[in-house]
Amino acid sequence: MSVRSDLISQITTNLSGHSNISINSELPFIQGGNPLYSTNMNTVYVDEQEIERETLYVTLDGGNVEQSTTTINAYLATDAKEQFSDINTVISNLLIAGDVISNTVDVEKSYETEIADDVITYTFEYSYTTI
Amino acid sequence: MAQAINVTSGSQAILTLGTTAAMAAPGGTDGLVVPLVQDVSVSTQPGTVRYSTLDSTSSSAFTTVMENEVSFNMLLDEDTFFGNASLTNNSVAELGLFTTSNNKTEIHFSVAFEGADSTDNYLHGTGFIGGLAPNASLEQAVWISSGSIIVNGDLSKDTV
Repeated sequence: MSVRSDLISQITTNLSGHSNISINSELPFIQGGNPLYSTNMNTVYVDEQEIERETLYVTLDGGNVEQSTTTINAYLATDAKEQFSDINTVISNLLIAGDVISNTVDVEKSYETEIADDVITYTFEYSYTTI
Repeated sequence: MAQAINVTSGSQAILTLGTTAAMAAPGGTDGLVVPLVQDVSVSTQPGTVRYSTLDSTSSSAFTTVMENEVSFNMLLDEDTFFGNASLTNNSVAELGLFTTSNNKTEIHFSVAFEGADSTDNYLHGTGFIGGLAPNASLEQAVWISSGSIIVNGDLSKDTV
């Protein structure tokens, strides 16, 4: 299982009590000039994971130890005029879903918002550091 | 033209331990090559006594004995630290660094400077393993330990 699939699985579980929000396992590709999460509002899309590796320990015999940082973005667009009454719970559950990844040295979860016309887009960033 | 000994190839600076000088030589049969060593230092220091005389404004000195030590830091390898029971030809490898240190067993060692190829230079001697201080934290993610070999007697130079 990849970090992305584990995250999608946990988000699906965490959002099961929110009937107005769903998750789609497709990548948020651009369709008709707009990303899917913008076209299909109230649907969470999880982007492809990005992995960055760097050497953490250098040894004289070349048995170096690497540190890997995996970063994944998730997107949710919804109506900015009439937000769900439990939108804060939804956000909280999306952030908590990031705890599903284990054996990490560091986990960072954050989100930011952007409002365009009457649509507010939540962009979540999950970052995992493993050795 | 002078040229520094480059260790970046991953096969130049090698610490090898064994129960005989031949085993502990670089490339020696059944020698325990300590893996995942981050750095190794060879310290060789003559003991000195300083004294003053009325006819000089600077102190004088004479030497006593050499004090030699090899120190290193390593990421802990399970077999190396705790031993591998199947390596019966070399008790250092069989018992591991901890037990060998704990038993205060004298060992043979070598520090290769240029690798284990013919004519490569190395230092060797006998001594006792000490200075093990394994530590772990979530930030460093792995066990890391210092270590040393308190040299018993002379350090000698040789070539492979």
